[in-house]
Amino acid sequence: MRIPSLLSRFWHYLAAFALITLITVVFFILRDILETTLIALLYLLPLGIITAFWGLGPGITSAAVTFLTFNYFFLKPYYTFTVHRPTDVVILIVFLIVAVVISQLVGRMQAGLAVATAREREATQLYEISMALAGLHNEHAIAEILARQVQAVSQGEYVEINISGGRAFSFHLPESAPPARSPELTVTIEAARGVLGEIRLWRASPAISSNEKRLLQTFASQGALALERARLAEAESRAKVLEESDRLKTAILSSVSHELRTPLSTIKAAASSLRGKEVGWDSPARTELVAAIDDEADHLNLLVGNLLDMSRIESGALKPKREWNILLEIVESVLARMKHLAGEHQLAVDVPEDLPLAPVDFVQMEQVFTNLVSNSVKYAPEKTVIHLHAFVEGESIHVLVSNQGPQVPQEHLERIFDKFFRVTAADRVTGTGLGLSICKGIIEAHGGRIWAENLSDGLAFHFTLPLVWDGALPPRLPMDTEDE
Amino acid sequence: MTNAPHILVIDDELQIQRAIRTILTEKGFRVSTASRGEDGLTLAASSEPDIVILDLGLPDMDGVEVCMRLREWTQIPIIILSVRDSERDKVAALDKGADDYLTKPFGIEELLARVRVALRHSASRTGAQSKVVKAGQITIDLAWHIIKRGEEEIKLTGTEYKLLAYLASNHRRVLTHQSILTNVWGPADADHTEYLRVYMRQLRKKIEIDPENPQIILTEPGIGYRFIADE
Repeated sequence: MRIPSLLSRFWHYLAAFALITLITVVFFILRDILETTLIALLYLLPLGIITAFWGLGPGITSAAVTFLTFNYFFLKPYYTFTVHRPTDVVILIVFLIVAVVISQLVGRMQAGLAVATAREREATQLYEISMALAGLHNEHAIAEILARQVQAVSQGEYVEINISGGRAFSFHLPESAPPARSPELTVTIEAARGVLGEIRLWRASPAISSNEKRLLQTFASQGALALERARLAEAESRAKVLEESDRLKTAILSSVSHELRTPLSTIKAAASSLRGKEVGWDSPARTELVAAIDDEADHLNLLVGNLLDMSRIESGALKPKREWNILLEIVESVLARMKHLAGEHQLAVDVPEDLPLAPVDFVQMEQVFTNLVSNSVKYAPEKTVIHLHAFVEGESIHVLVSNQGPQVPQEHLERIFDKFFRVTAADRVTGTGLGLSICKGIIEAHGGRIWAENLSDGLAFHFTLPLVWDGALPPRLPMDTEDE
Repeated sequence: MTNAPHILVIDDELQIQRAIRTILTEKGFRVSTASRGEDGLTLAASSEPDIVILDLGLPDMDGVEVCMRLREWTQIPIIILSVRDSERDKVAALDKGADDYLTKPFGIEELLARVRVALRHSASRTGAQSKVVKAGQITIDLAWHIIKRGEEEIKLTGTEYKLLAYLASNHRRVLTHQSILTNVWGPADADHTEYLRVYMRQLRKKIEIDPENPQIILTEPGIGYRFIADE
């Protein structure tokens, strides 16, 4: 409830006096027709009205004034404050008592009603804010709701909500910069664990009442509850993520240390036996051991490279350096390098010469082909064919690498792209268990999709690469064909 | 052995320094080493080596900057060493004057092959620049603009010839996409790698015996191309 300002109170008194004067004039004109008792009775009417509309103060004052005017104008002898007849004295006294009592009763009722209305409004506002804040887990949204509610309740010129803590920020209404002066009211948003922020309210007039202050403090504590709830929820989900990544790290560490130790053991064994005197300078064993060291060092290098790629993919740092490339050139570059690894496998390439230029990272796509082909070489039996096929499909290139190796159980088809997932036991096939997941990371970084499919006689890896790059389709080049 | 070729190795990893020094000394080279860029620059100025082997990851300064500062006063061959996945650094160093690169870890044959090429480069700087480049059965006469396989002349288009001539006359260096595009097509087309890809494909079809498995112009993935000439 707002306390009426001095000015409005003055107007209330003035209105009361005006009404009394008006009534008095009317009665004065009708003085000879009306009986004195009737006038006294009729005088009570405006008093009730005044108290009901303008409050107890004007009511009581009017009662006193009417007492005097009644005596002065309507009790004989007129125009004096003296009373001759005893009945008149009784009328006057009864009038005074009734007037004051009515004024007081009506006034008290009015005040009670006003308090009840204010309470109800407050309760509604509190209900609204708690409903609005319920279920919010975003600190910005909470600050916004708080600011809007404060603004709605206070009708202030400017409301600012400052949230402190790790990610401090402020929200204000309206959008403009705050007034130059300091705020009229500052309420801290305080929870059990400390200050979470503050509400700053600018409103020069009417001045902020103690009731409003109390309400805003309640708002602040509602806000504090919501903020604390949001922070707890966030801490909980962060803890869950940490737990998950911790579990994953442990799995990776154990897998990686196993993978790293295998080539290291070979290198250590070979190098130490070369250092000792067991192996003669010219023995064939020496050549074997040296070759083993060289091969295992390459394997270690591959493993470390894959781990780096994986961590780059995981952290989102793998950004393809795209250029318009000829897919066939990438495939040929890979195959030229893999020739000695392919062994007894046959490689059949069906990548058309006139395929549009593909917007890809040359090095990363080389890696995708290398990993897919080496996966096929690893699992498919010797003397079988590994197919590489590429064709245009809508606005993408569809690539297919298929082999005649063992099928993958249907339920594992998606999981083979997961880190360290292996269909067969880890010790049967050497590798890092990362090859396919790196392919997936690279293809997805290019905006494509990768999946595996069982064929009637083997396994196929499919992937797509969008041809559109930055809204542009592959360029067609102005070729010079003139002979020199 | 004072006439033995002198190689300066700038690398902060002592194990690598030790390995390179052991192998190169064994092969009859004189080797000096520096662990920091500043020391390397000082040593290069005072001892005038025949080749600089430079690691890109130095503790005190960027390897690319060492390249630039060397190139301010000398044309000695620079071979850079760097780890995998740092194509950007390699390209920057090559564009700033390095001649060749090796990716760690490298085999010793690779290192020796690079050193041999660089030494020939170093030697030819003092003599007259050869106008005829041979690669396998291909002979390129840069003065007369004639390309032959054996005795048979190969017809090239204007752009193809410019491309081949630029690669052949820089055959001791690894050329980045950007440097090829800038020199053959012009600075405005420096980003159009696709031109290079398409023309390179055409060119290989004309000069390579097996274009799918090129022996003369090799692709350096993510970096550029290398022309392999007979020496």
